[in-house]
Order: sequence, then structure tokens, then C-alpha cells
Amino acid sequence: MMKTRILTGLAVAMLGLAACGAGSSEPPAPPGPTPVTKAEAFQLLNQATFGATEAEADRVIAMRIEPWIEDQLRKPPSLQLPHMLTLPPPQFMGQLHTDRVDVWFRNALHGEDQLRQRVAFALSEIMVVSQLGALQDRPFAVADYYDVLVRNAFGNYRELIEEVTLHPAMGVYLSMLGNRKPNVTLNIRPDENYARELMQLFSIGLVELDPDGTAKLDPVTNQPIPTYDQSIIEGFAHVFTGWTWAGSPSFGSGRVPTASQYFPMELWPSEHDTGAKTLLNGMTLPAGQSGEQDLAAALDNIFGHPNVGPFMAIRLIQRLTTSNPSPGYVRRVAAVFDDNGSGVRGDLGAVVKAILLDPEARPAAHMEIDGKLKEPLLRLTQLYRAYNARSASERYPLLASYIIFGQGPLQSPSVFNFFSPFYAPPGEIRNNNLVAPELEIATEYLNTFTTNYMFFQVFGLNQTNPDLDEDDIFIDIQQEMNVAADIDALIDMVAGKLLGGRISGTLRTEIAGMVARLPATETTLRAAETIYLIVTSPEYAYQR
Amino acid sequence: MKTLNRRDFLKTSGAAALFAATPGLAYSQVVGGPGPFSDYKALVCVFLFGGNDSFNMLVPNTTAEYNAYAASRQNLALLQSDLLPITPASSSGADFGLHPAMGSLQSLFESGSAAFVTNVGPLMEPTTRDQYFNRSVQLPPQLFSHNDQQDQWTSLRGNVPGKTGWAGRIADLMRSGVAGQQMATNASLFGSNLFQSANETVAYVMGPGGPIPFEGFSNVPDTLLYEQRQAFLRIVNADYDTIYERGFAAVQRRAIDAADTVTAALDNAPVLSTVFPQSQLGTQLETVARLIAVRDELQMQRQIFFVATGGFDSHDDQVENQPGLLGGVADAIAAFYDATSELNMAGQVTTFTQSDFGRTLTSNGDGTDHAWGGNQFVVGGAVNGGDLYGSYPLLAIGGPEDVGGGRMIPSTSADQYAATLARWFGIPDADLDIVAPHLSSFVQRDLGFMQ
Repeated sequence: MMKTRILTGLAVAMLGLAACGAGSSEPPAPPGPTPVTKAEAFQLLNQATFGATEAEADRVIAMRIEPWIEDQLRKPPSLQLPHMLTLPPPQFMGQLHTDRVDVWFRNALHGEDQLRQRVAFALSEIMVVSQLGALQDRPFAVADYYDVLVRNAFGNYRELIEEVTLHPAMGVYLSMLGNRKPNVTLNIRPDENYARELMQLFSIGLVELDPDGTAKLDPVTNQPIPTYDQSIIEGFAHVFTGWTWAGSPSFGSGRVPTASQYFPMELWPSEHDTGAKTLLNGMTLPAGQSGEQDLAAALDNIFGHPNVGPFMAIRLIQRLTTSNPSPGYVRRVAAVFDDNGSGVRGDLGAVVKAILLDPEARPAAHMEIDGKLKEPLLRLTQLYRAYNARSASERYPLLASYIIFGQGPLQSPSVFNFFSPFYAPPGEIRNNNLVAPELEIATEYLNTFTTNYMFFQVFGLNQTNPDLDEDDIFIDIQQEMNVAADIDALIDMVAGKLLGGRISGTLRTEIAGMVARLPATETTLRAAETIYLIVTSPEYAYQR
Repeated sequence: MKTLNRRDFLKTSGAAALFAATPGLAYSQVVGGPGPFSDYKALVCVFLFGGNDSFNMLVPNTTAEYNAYAASRQNLALLQSDLLPITPASSSGADFGLHPAMGSLQSLFESGSAAFVTNVGPLMEPTTRDQYFNRSVQLPPQLFSHNDQQDQWTSLRGNVPGKTGWAGRIADLMRSGVAGQQMATNASLFGSNLFQSANETVAYVMGPGGPIPFEGFSNVPDTLLYEQRQAFLRIVNADYDTIYERGFAAVQRRAIDAADTVTAALDNAPVLSTVFPQSQLGTQLETVARLIAVRDELQMQRQIFFVATGGFDSHDDQVENQPGLLGGVADAIAAFYDATSELNMAGQVTTFTQSDFGRTLTSNGDGTDHAWGGNQFVVGGAVNGGDLYGSYPLLAIGGPEDVGGGRMIPSTSADQYAATLARWFGIPDADLDIVAPHLSSFVQRDLGFMQ
């Protein structure tokens, strides 16, 4: 017999350890007044929030899909920095990352602006900075960077990349902060780090794209056509010279006020290179411009590149709805990026709406490549939202998220994110030229870690445990316990909360078999067993 | 009269060369793969993520060459007096020096257990500076980009689409010869990677300390936790409608299978007296040593391990960070060599480095940017150690190998490096071109650093 008390001890030990350690190209049909089923509402909510709940599904059913999205687009942002600024001064600056992760979970689980938070999370996996590394001692910068993504999630892409470029978190992470003009006698030339990754990862990618996101091929060599060469990298590297911490007493490193972490970088004109610069598409910036002029022109140059629409369409579609969008889906979304219908380029709110309302996001006939794997962190947040997870302290100090799940809020191992948009595991996915990015971190090791965490969470960290510490995040399974004597009712309840009522025959049979082995009086174990087998199942891991 | 078997016939008739020239057709698939083996061998890839600035790892120590280095590197140059001198067998004296933090590697080199391969990197064919600028040779695509050059190093695919790594291809070629192994030939302690990705075999990914068992599962029949394990297994063994569920379920199945066998074997591993550094890399290499110690229990004959550490993308603060980075790698690998000696396996285990790329000789103020060729090292009892292999370039800006800013064109290809290791590991000459697809573009099929 499983001993929840022992499990709790293990779970607490584990938490303590971790916390210390480190298709078609037709335009979409206008949304009609079609009634929404519970399963359809769950599908939308798993694409557009941090996890479907029955309460939110009822709201979608009442409002219908497009009005629900419109309502979400109007929600004001839930931010991190205001909370961070209320905290007492820490003993070590880096320990505030626990509070940063805590407020991320609060907003992800309870924020009214669910769609905004979900899109910001997607952006944080495209325009990556990470706590792990040079930003370990800059938690305010990391929190404020996330707020930039939250505030601009439905704003304009041009404004977003400017705020990203000038943010000190990005400045530190990709070493634009402190980047100086050349010194020829010392063989010193500008740092190319930000110039390269801004183009490769945040905006246009490595190769020229058609409007539907497929790579153009050189008619002679039959090879993809690079979007830039080393000379263009160097052009942008020269543009991005002269910027450092706001209010810094010196251009290079040195002590800076804490508040500098959340103000845009400042230009030191004497450190900016004033020569001419070669940019994309044959554009040359004239010599003698100011740092601000160079920056504005260079970001306009990138923003105007025809790749940005299909590039961002693919990245955002993959984070929200499906790993393998058809060229038609990409083209439709990219067209909205290029023009939101009112002549505006880069309207991200319109792009998000187009992604979610596209027929391919909710296909009538489901195909085996539709949808995606849920990211492991989103499997956790969905469970937490469905079961009102909380702690006595009202905190969610899951700093070890990146160890347990292979990902956590702004905890990527590098600017290349937790997984690659191109990852294709061996077997049928690779053989059919498909991708499944999230499977890159679904390794044997991380899947086991995540599965074990779910085991501890469900069996050990629930409201029945009398030994919870004040920071233990527990789920509430009382409703399940109340019906646990009736196996079918129990399974229906959990499947309703976690799967929108859609459960396979195998999963139902196996749960029923296991629950029947537990005495009807063991209501906690019966409820936990049911939830455990569902949250670790392939069908829960799948986002339709 | 000795009768020829099919393999001999193919060898003696020169037919092997035909197979080498036929894409996708492996010599060993026709004659039967290498193995079964009567011995054990392991390759251990230490990947240095970010692009190691390896021209500060192995530095010229002769006057003119050091002066060229110092003039190029300026504020990033090591003082000549700080270099740890090494005396390569093929040179007349202590013509090179190591970064001062790499004392443990100096010892391995001087005792003949370590070798350097110099200015090596991805190439599709031999390339000169003029050819580079005239674009008259084929070049690996997306030079200087992290993920693309990691892919080039580990896949050796050049500009041909392909999603297998060279360790994956080795495992595929050997799969029939090692069919009794209880664990996959390829094991990673640092996550999924292209290096070990294959068409026919699947790499096993464990944690830095080895596999972890599933909680709440038992192998003792008639217990509740046994039934739970069986229920879990039946769920992941079910048919699913989408590629994503099937992909996820497959990982869960492999995880359950391997966790049992590997964890049980590791529980019996002897305690090593070698002390490993308390680092990410030290922990991984200690686990590899323990896995090698239980090789017989797992019936292993050929293993390729992937371990890694990051932080080498030194755009910033290079002078401050490099000692810790390079010293950490040297100390962890030296400890691992000691552990293999303790297990009497030093001659059967070869450790080698790979990294995204070398870095610019020029400075960006306090660091370096992405470049191309660089130096790698190989450690083990089967290494023809105490020497340098390949040519070491003149580290001058605008020199014959520089394509700008001190980005050096490799003079030795990653294909040659891989093929030399693969041959030692037991891949027949005719199949080396499958492991290293551009090998035939280079004169030397074997760089000579392995016995």
C-alpha cells in the first residue's frame, strides 16, 4: 500500500533539494454563430491559456470563440516588476529569481489576461534571455524583460524589437551592453553576438522564405539562399555600438544602481561607431549618424524584410497551435502580419487572432499531424489550474522548474531555447519531414523526472496531507474523493477536468482496473491514482 | 587452399571501394556489420558548447609564431611566460604551450596519453583562402552560426539534408554485431543530440548521474505497485492517432525498459577511488566511468557516450572566464582518464573534444566572436599521444588561413577526425565514408593519432 506520508517526505526533500540547487490556402471562413462544445472549448483554451478549466470552458461556450478572443485581447497586462519592487532587499540578489518564478506562476495560473500571458511565454521562447548565466544577479532585469514581452504581446512587432534590443537584460545576455566602436590598432572590432542572433532567431532566420514559409531555392545550386553574410553581421554589429546601463558611471562594467536593471540602455555617443554600415537588402547607412538614428534605421531595415511575417508566423503557430502548419496556414497568418487589414504591418494582436481562428487551428477532421505536444511546464500549469493549486504562503517558489521539467520561465540553457523549432526525432516524424520541437526535451531522463514529479504532486502534495510546509504547492482533490466510491463517476470527473471529457477506452479501462484494486474507503488514493494516470498519459501530453 | 568468404572476396576484389562510392549502401550491410567483438571499446565525446576559443588553449611557443599570435590577439593574448610548455614528438623542442589552467592536460600530453588535432573543422573539400573568396569550392552552409556548426561537427552532412549524426551512423553500422547489448550503443548524459541520432538505432538519454527510476513502480509481481507499472506500460503501449502521442509514448516505453536494467547494473558498480571535480562535466564523466565498470553486466562491447558542458561562447569577459572553463575541462577529463586506468580500461576508452567552432583571433573589446577552425584534443591509452596532428596555422590577421578578423579556414576536416576515431572503434575502411561522407575529398583517411 502506498504511504502518502512517506511520499510527502520524499516530495518535500526533492523540492528542497531542487530549490537549493540550482493545407488549404483559402481564406478562413468568417466565424459563425456555431455552438461550441466542451471539447472544442478545451482545445481553444489549451492553445490560448495556461491550461483549460471547466469554468473557463463554460465562458467560451457562453461567449463563443471569437468574442472570447476579442475579450482577451482587451485584458490589461499582469506584470512582474511591480511585485518584485515590493520585496524586501535580499541577502543575495540572485535569490530574487525565486520570487520572479513565483510571480510568473501567479500570473500564469491566475491572471485574467491568459492569452496575453501565453503569447508572452511564446515570445520568451523566441526572443530568449535566461536567468542561467550572466543574468543570475540581475533578477529585476529578467522580470522587467518578461514584462516587455507581456506588454507588447498584442502590440506592434517593430516596437517590440526596439524594446527588446534596448533592454539591459538582452544587452547583458547577448553582450550588446558595453559594445564599443572599433579600435583598429588593437584589432578590436564590434561584438557580433546580438547582431547575429537578432537576425537568426528573433526576426528573419538564416534563409530566404516564400510568403508561405518554405525556403526559396537558388535556381542554379538548388540550395537555400542565405538571408545575410558576414559583412551584414558586421554592419549590424557596428550599429549596436555605444549602449550601456542607464545611469552608469562608466561605459564598461562597474557598479550600477539596481534601477538600471529596468530602464532601457543609454547611448554614449563617444563609444558609437559613426562609419557607414551595410545592412540587409543592399541598404547602406550613411556615415555620421547618431546611435539612435542608426538603431532606428537598422530595426526598420529588419522589420521591412519580407521574411519577418512568415518567420514569426511559423514560430508563433508552433508555440500555440501546431508543430507542422501547412504552407497555407503560414501564408494566411503571414499576410496578417504584413497587413492587419488596416494597412498596419506587425500587429501582433491581429496575428495571434489569425492563428487561433484559422481553420487549421481547429480542423473539422483531425489528422495525425494536427496539434502538438504540450510543453512539460504547460502540462503542469494545466493541472494546477484545474485543481486550484496553491500553497499556504500563497507562493509558487518553483525555482527548480528547469531541472524538473527541462524548462522554466526565462530559464533556457541558451538563446536557442529549450528546444529547436526544427527538432525531428528519429522514426516516422523525421522520415516524413515533420517536426516535433517539444519532443527534444521529452528525453527518457526528463520524462521520468516529470512523471515522478507528477507522482509526488498528486499522491503527496494534495489537500489531505497534514504535513505540508507553507511553501508546498498542493492540489485540491476533494471533489474527486467525494465520488471515489463510484469508479465511473470518478473517471468522468477527472477526464472532464483534464481532457475536456474526451478519454480513450484504454486509459479508462486501465484506470478503472487500478482504482478497483483500492478499497472504496481509500478515497484519497483512488482520486490520486485516477489523476496520476491521466496527467502522465500520452493523450494528456497531446494538445489537439 | 584457404577459401575466401564473402567478406574477404569483397575486400580483395576492390569491391569495397564500389560500396563506398554508392550513397546509402554500406559495405557492412552487404557483408554483415562489424562484430561480434571480442573486446570492449568506448568513445567519449566531450562537447564544449558555445565555441571554444582553442587558439588560447594550444598556443605557439616559438618566438616568431608567438609574436604573430600576440599581435593578433592583443588584450586577449596569454603571456608567453605563463604558457605551460609541451614538447610534441614531431618538433625539436617545447614549441607549443597550453593555457596555464590546463596543467592536468599538460601532464597527460607529456606522458603520451593525449594528442592535439590542430585547426580542424567542418569542410566539404580542401579549401584555400582564394577558393573561399572566389566561392570555387563547396562550403558547409551557415558558417559561424552556433547551431548550424554544431550540426556540421556532429552530422558531417555538408550541404546535403540529413538528420543523422556520425555516432548514430556508427551505431547503425554495428547494430547486428552488438545485438546482445542490454543498453543502446549510444548513450547521452546531456540530452538529445544530433551526434547520436540514427536511422536504425535509438540513443538512450540519461541524467548526469545516470538514469533515475520511476517512482511508484515495482517489479515484484502481485503487488499494487507492480500492477501500477503494468497499467502504465499498457497505456504507453496503446495505439495512438497522432505522431505526437506516439513519439511521447515511445520515449516513456524506452525510459521504463532502460531505467530498470541500467539502474540495477549501476547499483553494483564498484566504488572508484578516483576523485572527480564537482562540476557538471565531472559528474557526467564519473557516471560514464561507472557505466564502463559495469559493461560486462550489461553485455556491452561498443559504447559511445555524449557528455557536454557549456559557457564557451565568450563574447564577453573572456580573460576572466577562460581559466575556469579550460581548467574545468582539463581536470574533469584527466580524472576520467585516471578512472579508466583504475578500471584497467585506459587503452579501450578514447575521449575526444568537439565544439561549435573556433573563435576570432581579433577581440571585440573583452571577448571573441564566432569563427571556424580550432584545436581539439584526444585522450586515452590507445592514443598516439604526445604529439600534434594536422598543421598549426600562422595566427596572423590576413594570413593565409584568415577569412577576416582572424577566422581560420580549417586545414584538417572534421570528417578526417571522425574517421580516425571510427576506424579505431572498429568500422572497416570501406564504411568510413558512411561515417564521414566527405572523407574521400581528403588525402589522409587516417590522421594517425590512434594506434
